Amino acid sequence: MRQEKLFSKKNIRILREIAISDFKVRYQNSFLGYVWTLIKPLLLFAVLYVVFSVFMRFPVDNYQLYLLLGIIIWNFFAEATSIALRAFESKESLITKVYFPRIIIVIASTITSFLTFLLNMIIFFIFVAVSNIGFSFSFFFFPVYVIELYFLILSFALILAVLYIKFRDLSHIWDVLLQVGFWMTPIIYPVSLIPQTYHRLVYLNPLARVIEYSRSVFIQGHVPAINLNLVLFFMTIILFVISIFLFQRYQKSIPENI
Amino acid sequence: MSSIIELENVGKIFRIPHERRDTLKEHIVHFHRRIKYDDFNALKNIDLEVNEGDFLGIIGRNGSGKSTLLKILANIYTPTKGKIEVHGSISPFLELGIGFNGDLSARENVYLNGVILGLSYKEIDKKYRDMVAFAELEDFMEMKLKNFSSGMQVRLAFTIASQVNADIYLCDEVFAVGDLPFQKKCLNTFENLKRSGKTIIYVSHDLDSVEKFCTKTMLLENGEILAFGDTSKVVAKYKNSIQ
Repeated sequence: MRQEKLFSKKNIRILREIAISDFKVRYQNSFLGYVWTLIKPLLLFAVLYVVFSVFMRFPVDNYQLYLLLGIIIWNFFAEATSIALRAFESKESLITKVYFPRIIIVIASTITSFLTFLLNMIIFFIFVAVSNIGFSFSFFFFPVYVIELYFLILSFALILAVLYIKFRDLSHIWDVLLQVGFWMTPIIYPVSLIPQTYHRLVYLNPLARVIEYSRSVFIQGHVPAINLNLVLFFMTIILFVISIFLFQRYQKSIPENI
Repeated sequence: MSSIIELENVGKIFRIPHERRDTLKEHIVHFHRRIKYDDFNALKNIDLEVNEGDFLGIIGRNGSGKSTLLKILANIYTPTKGKIEVHGSISPFLELGIGFNGDLSARENVYLNGVILGLSYKEIDKKYRDMVAFAELEDFMEMKLKNFSSGMQVRLAFTIASQVNADIYLCDEVFAVGDLPFQKKCLNTFENLKRSGKTIIYVSHDLDSVEKFCTKTMLLENGEILAFGDTSKVVAKYKNSIQ
């Protein structure tokens, strides 16, 4: 395959145009538009909040913020990876009829979900504003986690997108794995409820780290220790490198096998 | 005249599995049984040199490798072997309206499709009015594309594709679209491209248009070049081979 500069002006325009078009279409098509994607995490939040703060109680301060932030981050991950999984299938004509670097299609699919995530975060900030926690300078560390979260998601997206070409039942498998992941990740419960011996296992999941550290930044008002941040940083880098490697290796055969 | 495209000994083999195994379940259940493949030689040892300003026609029966060759030139397929050199930018007409989305307005689709074909926002802005006039869709641009008739869609698509400024144009059966008056405009567009010295590679079953436009023609059969050269001779050979 003849190589082309990945981030040329032309390719960035294509990325932007595909991502924005998808975003527009997603919100035009349903009657309630954007409200729908807002309702989904909020409804989940409401149900879980009632269950776990009225019926059962977790020893967590500001449980509503704790839960909401977890759900929003998880939702971003689950939605972006599920859409990216089918990215090539849904953009078939862009792959078999014209050439530009295929990675753009995967990136574009995650950017659409990223925009939804940003809109959801506005809701979270409203919750923060009306809560009793005051402003803290640690808030400014949150963008670091957003960037790491994005690259984690992109890594999963790239791997899933190429694997899906080979294994079409991956969409079902991934649905199940996401279900499992939701309960394995400290979204609704605090890590402190898990026996100490299993903490290492929980934190093998980079998403658990992103969620826990983001909570620390907002709710406890302090940035986690530097070594914790470094672990997350290297986890992200390693995963991203693996995903790029796999993607490069399999992308040639995409147009023939789709 | 210098050569703008050079192919040396290019071949493409598709591996066709005897059974299609594309779920993880099947891989696990039948992991001990290896899949057998048939190799399908879509293209064999193609040598080709296209000069700047050539209008090259490619003809041949279905499955002779015409579209595979175009896709290799467009950088969509990777050849199994051989060397390809392309000295210039390529605009694929492989299909009109790539990326069109029915839920967006016609105007939004012009930008989407234009950008995918390599136009910049500035270029599209500048040419927008002319394009709409050319496609004769002045009153419909804010309408959703799915409410367009297929004729309107293809007129819009052709207009956008014809705005792309490249050195080499690859056309797969795309030539004259729409109703008769619009077809005339399409032909005009190609005449202009030809006159301005662009290189065009045109795959078609419409031998009349090949004879009318192409300066050279190539006849493919089973992935091999059967004849190459003067259009009238090659077309005559193809016609003979069918009868």
